[in-house]
Amino acid sequence: MTSMSVGTATHPAAGKAPTIAGEKKHTRYIVAAVCIFLIALMLFPVFMSLLASIKTPAEAMAAPPTYLPHALSLDNYFKVYDYQVGLPVYLFNSLAVAFLTIVFCLVLAVPAAYGLARFPVPGKEILFVVLLLGLMIPYQALVTPLYLMFSKIGLSNSLVGLALIHTIVQLPFSVFLLRNSFEAIPKALEEAAVTDGCNSWQTLWRVFLPLVKAGIVTVVLFAFIASWNEFLGALIFMSRESNFTIPIMLVNVRTGQHGAIDWGALQAGVVIAVLPCIAIYVLLQKYYMSGFLSGAVK
Amino acid sequence: MQHVEIENVHKSFGSVEVIKGIDLSVAKGQFCALLGPSGCGKSTLLRMIAGLEAVSSGKVFVNGADVTNTHPAKRQIAMVFQSYALYPHMTVRQNISFSLDVAGRPKPEAAQRTEEVARILQLTDFLDRKPAQLSGGQRQRVAIGRALVRSPEVFLFDEPLSNLDAMLRVQMRFELAKLHEELATTMIYVTHDQIEAMTLASKIVVLDAGTISQVGTPLELYNQPANKFVAGFIGSPQMNFLKGRMETVAGREVRLELAGSGSVAILARGGVEDLKPGELEIGIRPEHIRPCNPGDAEANLSGRVELVEHLGNSTVLYVSTGSGRLVVQRSDDLSIRTGDTIGLAVDASRAHVFGADQRAI
Repeated sequence: MTSMSVGTATHPAAGKAPTIAGEKKHTRYIVAAVCIFLIALMLFPVFMSLLASIKTPAEAMAAPPTYLPHALSLDNYFKVYDYQVGLPVYLFNSLAVAFLTIVFCLVLAVPAAYGLARFPVPGKEILFVVLLLGLMIPYQALVTPLYLMFSKIGLSNSLVGLALIHTIVQLPFSVFLLRNSFEAIPKALEEAAVTDGCNSWQTLWRVFLPLVKAGIVTVVLFAFIASWNEFLGALIFMSRESNFTIPIMLVNVRTGQHGAIDWGALQAGVVIAVLPCIAIYVLLQKYYMSGFLSGAVK
Repeated sequence: MQHVEIENVHKSFGSVEVIKGIDLSVAKGQFCALLGPSGCGKSTLLRMIAGLEAVSSGKVFVNGADVTNTHPAKRQIAMVFQSYALYPHMTVRQNISFSLDVAGRPKPEAAQRTEEVARILQLTDFLDRKPAQLSGGQRQRVAIGRALVRSPEVFLFDEPLSNLDAMLRVQMRFELAKLHEELATTMIYVTHDQIEAMTLASKIVVLDAGTISQVGTPLELYNQPANKFVAGFIGSPQMNFLKGRMETVAGREVRLELAGSGSVAILARGGVEDLKPGELEIGIRPEHIRPCNPGDAEANLSGRVELVEHLGNSTVLYVSTGSGRLVVQRSDDLSIRTGDTIGLAVDASRAHVFGADQRAI
């Protein structure tokens, strides 16, 4: 056996972000200022909700409203926690439906997207367009026929049924996104896997899925947020209180005495509802890595 | 039976036929290069041997077994891709041992084999790195390691050095030659770079538009090109081609009158008895033309020097003659300058004559 003696230097680690030649310093300050303004604009309602949720119930309902709380109170959170069957039940329902939606989306979208992207499926372009047409049909138009169908097969008023509804809505986008991710993988990697002895499933599982992690994470994120926030389907399909999800609970909890709106409880509910979305986004953010395929080819 | 045999293989993509009935055999332990310009079908032919491309008709044999319809992993071949095709999410160790892992080989055995291959390729220090953390040369060695670990019957290389810089390419070429010498495994190597083919291979298959133009050793192709295409493709700088009109034939000697210049007598290879007077083409390599004084008796042509390139180890002249521009290469440092009028003496014993069908006569 011989010994190869090629000594080559390792690539230096990526350094600081490149600067654009001729870019003026004050342009960057202006861009930064615009970004900060937009972030402030987006965060303002969330911040106001947070402030309203920690006011006393009376102050939260006061007219005209106050901006900063005069006294801090967690009464609104206690009220939401004990509301009807209790916050844990609603949280569980929402989480269960969101989790099932994610699972259904991945189980259906990954093989579909893999097939459409990497296999010579006859008429796959037409199939793909038909699939995308689903994105153009208003969700509201589907709810009534779906309700009738689901009632007949006993899926109305069930968490699995609601998750299926959310999956139906989310699936075209998931397939679209994952198909693009699969298509972006160089053909040489697939061929290398084939010559290394992988069958189609092994290629998908061992080579492709780790490479489309960013796409999978995006699908998970979108499926979670869409399902977590979905209101209309949950309102129509769920009639038993113990099956309500967070958005339905929020509508109910805002009703105060004599037709007044309980702003404090509502905002506490909003803060609680927002937290999982922020958490999942922050947790999965690290997977949005640019250049994940770097080093694969060339 | 040869180690790798291809029998009358055709390949069409829709109505476009890219491989037009190729027969080829590679002996065990031979280093065979498939050489040709872009689009000649050399990579397609290699991919058909690998099983990554189905043949439209014909048969492929590896080690005596018909593998025409066999899965790539079961052909006992390993392929090194032009783009390396390393799995970016795996470390060097995982990349190299992947095929053993997929084949279900015991972990200790796979680990030992991976270490051994890494040692051969001097990758031991990089085993826990990911491809993105390696240089081009290191990535290429991982790609070779991934092929090596499988101990295949045949190695297939698809332009493996084309992404490396010139210096690294020379180094890797040397290492590949050494590797082949040590392993003595059959290697089929696709390249468009004639220097790579000439330096590495003991057998070169020149492909042109989906057909084999010539098969031979590097020197056979250089000294006795079968046609104008091979003559032009092999050798750098490229062979000069001059149009001429046949004057006389005496034995194997063909005298031609060059357009706008003098005449030259070339020793043909044979089969000139039935040659009819008409247009022929002469091929002369730049290194087989010698500058001399324009009035010398040995001067076949004369012309004005357009450009002089001093390369250190040789001098290249671009000379404008009545028959067109000629490139002349001499190993000595010539004192000729741009604008000089010089005579050119052709080494007739090393010149080639090509007929109207472009085949060497």
